[in-house]
Amino acid sequence: MAAREMEELRMGNPAHWMPENIIGNMSLKDLLVSNDYRHIAIKGIFTAIILLAVGGFFAMIFRSELALPDVQFVGAKVYMTLMTMHGMIMVFGFLIPMVVSICYYMLPRVLGTDRLYWAGAAQLSYWILIAAAVLLVIGRPDFTWTAYAPMSIRTGNAYIWMGHVAIILVAVSEFFAGAVLVRNAMSGKGGWSDTPLMAWACGTVGLLFMASTLPLAFVGYGLLADWAGWGNTAYFDPARGGSVQFFLYMFWTYGHPAVYLPFVPAIAIIYTIMPRILGNPMWSYWSGVIAFVLLALGAMPIGPHHFQPLYTVSGGYERFVQILTLLVFIPSVLHVFNWTATLFMNPIPDSARRSIPFKFMVMSIAFIVYGGATAFLNAQIAPDSDFIHNTYWIPAHFHAMFFGFAGQMAIAGFYYLYPYFTGRMFHQGMANAHFWLWQIGLFIKITAMGVAGYLYFPRWVYDYLDLPGWPEAQLFITIGGFLVGLGFLFFAVNLAWSARYGNAVDDDPWPVTDDEKAAVAAAPAE
Amino acid sequence: MENALGIWGPQAVMMAVTASFTVLGMGMLLAAVFMKKRWKPTYTFELGFIAVMLGLVFYADQLSVGTYAAYQENLNADEKKVSGKYTGKGEAAFDRVVTVVAFQWGFAFINEKKQMSRNAVVVKPGEKVLFKIVSNDLIHGFNIPVAQITAEIDPDGKREVWIKAPDKPGKYLIQCVNYCGVGHTQMKAWLVVKGDAHSAERKNHGEKTNGGA
Repeated sequence: MAAREMEELRMGNPAHWMPENIIGNMSLKDLLVSNDYRHIAIKGIFTAIILLAVGGFFAMIFRSELALPDVQFVGAKVYMTLMTMHGMIMVFGFLIPMVVSICYYMLPRVLGTDRLYWAGAAQLSYWILIAAAVLLVIGRPDFTWTAYAPMSIRTGNAYIWMGHVAIILVAVSEFFAGAVLVRNAMSGKGGWSDTPLMAWACGTVGLLFMASTLPLAFVGYGLLADWAGWGNTAYFDPARGGSVQFFLYMFWTYGHPAVYLPFVPAIAIIYTIMPRILGNPMWSYWSGVIAFVLLALGAMPIGPHHFQPLYTVSGGYERFVQILTLLVFIPSVLHVFNWTATLFMNPIPDSARRSIPFKFMVMSIAFIVYGGATAFLNAQIAPDSDFIHNTYWIPAHFHAMFFGFAGQMAIAGFYYLYPYFTGRMFHQGMANAHFWLWQIGLFIKITAMGVAGYLYFPRWVYDYLDLPGWPEAQLFITIGGFLVGLGFLFFAVNLAWSARYGNAVDDDPWPVTDDEKAAVAAAPAE
Repeated sequence: MENALGIWGPQAVMMAVTASFTVLGMGMLLAAVFMKKRWKPTYTFELGFIAVMLGLVFYADQLSVGTYAAYQENLNADEKKVSGKYTGKGEAAFDRVVTVVAFQWGFAFINEKKQMSRNAVVVKPGEKVLFKIVSNDLIHGFNIPVAQITAEIDPDGKREVWIKAPDKPGKYLIQCVNYCGVGHTQMKAWLVVKGDAHSAERKNHGEKTNGGA
């Protein structure tokens, strides 16, 4: 019995919490400084959703600008500022904090500890990130989220140092978040093989957070020092003896793991809510564990594939990076295989089919397949250097991965948690509208971006020539983007309306009925 | 875009692999969610799947490296492939050698007679052109879509790429593909192809025609 309970805990099977109106009972003090794990997580989740709205609003503005060639709605400076803020806010403000906060919420329950260890560090991480966001909004940098030196120290903006400081603060904030994840991942009872998959995910990605933010902090410091001319040092500015190559290697040692920082927790959310909603354990435990370890190991050495057309990376080393990058397919495929097999092996209860988290989860798996398949080109030297590098193919790939997969998985986790912290169920119709608008909008947007990339449409331009296919592709991206924006409105209205008027839930909000359990039990074992 | 492009063949294969993988993965997912039949895969099946992936990794590595090496070989082969990285030997093999200065924000082209033109380089149809690219401020890109070639230049470095000019007269886009500041959008130039068609029968690749622009 104990073994079975452990198995259920490991696979996340029992009802996690009883629904209660945690949000309604939070005082201002709880909101600001409470170290209760649910309070910290709710604060992080809702801040992330607000930042999603802000970043999305910026996207709406520059999508309007790009809808037609040769029509100016915002100029180059404003466009590039919005683009930079869109990237930084979506990745550092929405995606990473959202999935990490959901992990803060789920981990203590999945592990049975019911408390977040080192909650003070999580609190600190949150407020440092807020400081970074404020600096970004005031400083309005226009150097894109990659902040390539020496461009990022020569932008002619007197407040550009705020952007450099924000980079340091993001690094510090993420370092603390990683430490909290590692500490909590190790807090479960039992040995290695009793550790839930979510804890494996948080432990491995937490280490990745802590290792990869060190070079990022140095990048922020180096840019600031070069910009300010402190002590005649020059880390990255070639005009004064610094090295651009040094910058590239430092930045992408963080920049590639940065992709995994939202990615791995999103995977952890799948491993936690899929068995709960389906009412049966995952297909394989060890397959998931191995994949988490491989992903964490592969993340840092493969950064140079981001700048392959520079001669800085070449020869045998470039090929080594190419092979390692291609090998990242293995852990990714292990995960996707595991999920598909879990869906395939038992009857899917009707309650699961109707549930919104399940729908978002299935479609995020579809998008990871889409984005992962496009990565097959990205990884290779020849097509990457001469065909798709810095064309719209790249945004197509990372919007599929970041938004189609990680972002939608964060939203699935949010819908899953919603009844637990409000005590009410969200409105099914509005949630369905949100779901379909996002799937259609995202698919149009990502596919049109891929087509634009195929036609050599360059990234980071606010206007473009009327070359064959270019305006059509841009128009479709804009249409897709606005559908996504409309879907977000349904989401925002739903979560505000349902908190007050939604159906009250006082039992397990995601039940699997006895009939459905019987059907699972009756299914052939092999 | 006409199919006179350097690595079109391997790219088409890559696109096919990408598309079939997307269809396969999504098909499996749809089957898992909607098919009535239930099926529990074995570990052996998963290992087989991983083996296929490892095969793809091997194949992609070979194809990519092979394509890259073929750039160099195609320099002196018959004119199927049209662009490539150039390692700095044998300028005599080119009909035209152009030094390109990339700067914030534009390109300057300097021909063999040290004459400079801004934002346009004039070549003859079918000519083999070597571009020696430098940057004196920050990282820039140099991309000619019609020749399917991209290079990036950091301010410490020098890059050499070559193309075979399109046979059809006209003007073709040259653009920067690395964000280089607020004027990045304006950083474009034209590859202008005009004049008599370059003799396709010319056998001696070391022979030079008139070098000036």
